Amino acid sequence: MNLEFNEDQIDALREFMNVSIGAATANLANLLDAFGTMHIPKIEICNSSELSQKIESTIDIGSMYYATKQLFTGKFGGECMFIISEESARNLGRHLYNATTPSRDDISDAVIELTNILTSTIVSRLTQELDTQVQFFVPSSQFIDAHSIVNSEDVADYSKIIIISTILDFKDQKINGNIYILTKDEAIKSLKILIDKKIEEIYG
Amino acid sequence: MKILIVDDSKIGRMSVIKSLKIVKPDAELFQAANGLEAVEIFKEEKPHVVFLDLTMPVMDGYEALKHIMSIDKEAQVIVVSADIQSEAKLRVLVAGAKNMYPKPINDEKMLQIFEQDLLL
Repeated sequence: MNLEFNEDQIDALREFMNVSIGAATANLANLLDAFGTMHIPKIEICNSSELSQKIESTIDIGSMYYATKQLFTGKFGGECMFIISEESARNLGRHLYNATTPSRDDISDAVIELTNILTSTIVSRLTQELDTQVQFFVPSSQFIDAHSIVNSEDVADYSKIIIISTILDFKDQKINGNIYILTKDEAIKSLKILIDKKIEEIYG
Repeated sequence: MKILIVDDSKIGRMSVIKSLKIVKPDAELFQAANGLEAVEIFKEEKPHVVFLDLTMPVMDGYEALKHIMSIDKEAQVIVVSADIQSEAKLRVLVAGAKNMYPKPINDEKMLQIFEQDLLL
């Protein structure tokens, strides 16, 4: 089966992702008691070997990052990754704990809490749009440099990867991060079938 | 009745159109893929109702709403957006939108919009 997406499929996936990000932003806005600016999601299909380069092109490679990854399985399975810079994470810790200098543990807890809300809302809403269900695995978080965000083990089983990315942007609080949903071969096929079904429903 | 549907996503526009065809089958429909196109069509066609998305390239929905309201302060604009933050709703209501609904719009919501929100 062809793993490429046509224009209508990309448009539909971007729109479903937009709705999902909207739900996640609203949940985080409640958590942070702040207003988040929404950005148009970007959809890219690339070879697994290009993933590291694609991610590095969207972030400052001189910074350190908290990278949290959460796997999900089902008809549409994959991995949701949230990357937040050390500075943004510190601002998040300050804001959530109302502390001038939050501890490393507090910052890490804040990042995991935010990622849990973010990834579960996005993926749950996305799968709801696609009329399917997924199971979540426990997320894992690391404090690492930009070059270490993607390691070879992460992409070993992948040939093509679909990257759905957007920016979490709470300007007044100086909190922003990058969200990536990575999914591979079999899941891409399932995703195309689910999207085509939705397109058929809406276009008639 | 002339209705303008503004959304950068084709499936987003089609989703609104699907419900409009049931609730207002005789309406003349116009489509715009961003705020700038919407303002141009609004000036030319003077639609009775505008369904407006917020997150769009070129010109977003907030900016387009300001332009539309400055052209016609009685414009009937319904915002349909993925952004479901209460502050986003407050901003568009203050700017003159009749109401704001989360995506996607179904037939029931569309009927409610025409019965409760719009002054036609």
